[in-house]
Amino acid sequence: MDAIQLLNVSKTFGETAAVDDVSLTVPEGAVYGFIGPNGSGKTTTMRMILSIIYPDRGAIHVFGDELHGRCEQVGYLPEERGVYRRMAVRALLEFHGELRGGRNVTAEVNSWLARLDLAHCANQKVETLSKGMSQKVQFIAAIVPQPRLLILDEPFTGLDPVSAESIRAAILDLRRRGSTVILSTHDMSVAENLCDYIFMIFKGRKVLDGTLESIQQRYGNDTLRVAAEGGAAVMQGLPNVEKIRDLGHVQELRMALGCDPQEVLRALVARTRIASFAVTKPSLQDIFIRIAGNGAAEAQNA
Amino acid sequence: MLRRILLVAKRDYLAAIRSKPFLFGLIVTPVLAGSGFIGIAVMKAKPDIAERRIAVIDRTRAVAPALAEAVEEKNRTDIFDKITGKQTEPRCTIEIVPGDDADPTAQRLALSDRARRHEIFAFLEIGRDALHAPQNASAEKLAPSFRVDYYGNTGGFDETRMWLSGPVNDAMRRTRLAQLGIDRAHFAEVLAPASMQSMSLLSRDVKTGQVTEAHKKNEAEIAIPISMMMLLAMMVLMSAGPMLGAVADDKQQRVFEMLLASAGPFELMSGKMLAAVALTLTSSLLYVAAAILVLQSMAMIGLAPFSVLPWFFIYMVADVLVMSSMSIAVGSACASPNDAQHLAMLVMAPTLVPLFLLAPIMQSPNGGLATVMSLTPPFTPLIMLMRQAMPGGVPAWQPWIGLVGVIAWSIGATWVAARIFRIGILVQGKTAKVSEMMRWAVRG
Repeated sequence: MDAIQLLNVSKTFGETAAVDDVSLTVPEGAVYGFIGPNGSGKTTTMRMILSIIYPDRGAIHVFGDELHGRCEQVGYLPEERGVYRRMAVRALLEFHGELRGGRNVTAEVNSWLARLDLAHCANQKVETLSKGMSQKVQFIAAIVPQPRLLILDEPFTGLDPVSAESIRAAILDLRRRGSTVILSTHDMSVAENLCDYIFMIFKGRKVLDGTLESIQQRYGNDTLRVAAEGGAAVMQGLPNVEKIRDLGHVQELRMALGCDPQEVLRALVARTRIASFAVTKPSLQDIFIRIAGNGAAEAQNA
Repeated sequence: MLRRILLVAKRDYLAAIRSKPFLFGLIVTPVLAGSGFIGIAVMKAKPDIAERRIAVIDRTRAVAPALAEAVEEKNRTDIFDKITGKQTEPRCTIEIVPGDDADPTAQRLALSDRARRHEIFAFLEIGRDALHAPQNASAEKLAPSFRVDYYGNTGGFDETRMWLSGPVNDAMRRTRLAQLGIDRAHFAEVLAPASMQSMSLLSRDVKTGQVTEAHKKNEAEIAIPISMMMLLAMMVLMSAGPMLGAVADDKQQRVFEMLLASAGPFELMSGKMLAAVALTLTSSLLYVAAAILVLQSMAMIGLAPFSVLPWFFIYMVADVLVMSSMSIAVGSACASPNDAQHLAMLVMAPTLVPLFLLAPIMQSPNGGLATVMSLTPPFTPLIMLMRQAMPGGVPAWQPWIGLVGVIAWSIGATWVAARIFRIGILVQGKTAKVSEMMRWAVRG
């Protein structure tokens, strides 16, 4: 069964089309990554799935049922996080768990507190916790009791690597135990490594949807990954190279349509010493930038 | 749905009742509200009894001696507490000043300067023809020669002017009687005032036919309705008032979006309103119980308006529902608690307006203004309750019509508030204008 079906969903705020005729199917048990620039419609789409706001047009089905209100099987961690800061951690988590699940969740709360290394502050007020600890508390509030569908809006923002790793492991564990996960992220490596499917929304419209492999397949083997003496500076003006993305020690070159990589290699050898040269599919970051516009790290090939 | 409403209500209620501001308010608010009564009690315990010297220009050249005599008589009889014998009012002394008919303005100026130097407290000028002033003419329309003018330096209610009013009139009457040739020995008998006792109406018990005798009215009978109205206003402001800032604060802390995944806006709002009602019931039960104990200890339990108490609680619940729903709606439309405070008057107006109208309503509790205001839903709880608690009460149909209006108003206010709340809590970064809130309420 599909966890979520969006059928030609649109939502307008004033004159702005936040989501424009988007259709999407999220299979049960998948981790689905939502990517897109700020203000592209990710959060609006998530809020509509949660019935926090309603679409102007189209229909949304969650686990087969058309959504008309709250769904007790859905956990949600919003991007703009906030909890009652004067409540004790355990009391807060029990409140959120009981509000959604309708039953006592003390055992699950204790288990997750221990797992995310928060057991020692269970009786502390939330306002006394560090930002990272507070984010982990909010994550637990979203997953207790275990939801069939978990929606996480930017779950890794502001987390240190250790905390991010524990959240990543928790997400994968929840998937193993049957949860479907939707997460939005600006970190393309998270989308590439954690997500089974990727959905990109840009200016309210769906521009990418599928597995990483299928998305990369659409863009073909038009990318060269090169490490050479002199870095990006010596690569300026190479024939048949449309864009150079400087990653520091390595540069990604996007070739013109129909270009032979051997020609680029010959031109490069004539200019400098090559340390490595590989023909690859474009990275998700590159695809994102191709769709959404130039990033700061990308140099235009004149 | 009910489960989630109750869970939100329980959380908010426990959070509020354990908070220091609530406990502090529970004690301090009645003290502040009652500070006026305390002030009056303190002033009564330590009255200003410094002697007051009044200069009198008697242009009739006949009244002043009688005035001095009447003032002395009042000093002997009326300035002491009848039970304790302790002096409670200042003693007045009369200084008769010969009238300067050549330049009366200069004389008035000289006396005014003496009053400013506190050599005298005030001065009276009895007009040349004051003894023969036209009957039924108001002071504003009388020529100065027919008037008695009081010149003083105190603003507002001048107690001394009121104090002198009796002796001045007494002196004028005594002088007129003397001019009519009546023997002075009869003056006291002729001028003796009749004392009027305010009594309640008699009533007959419908079942037993027994007639209940009238009883003497006392000041406490007026204090009870005012106290009940004040208590109701205080309860509503104490519980629903802080909700405005609290909701704006929760919104600023981004608490709502996470909750919205588990509970709908209407459930969240209903839970908060229920918590406000529970909070108000808790504190009002404490206050009412304390008031009953105080009345019992003062042997005044008979004054407790037990028949109106159920109405007190009904109106209180309705008023808290309206106030809290509006607080939640406006709070959700604000970007910060500070912005919310700027809109506080909008929410509190239904509670404050009846307080401003207290005096005219007290003067005529069954008059047109009082009746119309008490049947106007936003004001019904406070004004109808006060009218019901007053001696004589109100026609039996009025509280029920008022209640229907209040229930309809509560439902309407909650419905409108829910529509504003649903949108307001997701709008970040700016405070909505009143026109925007109205648009949200209409369009949803």
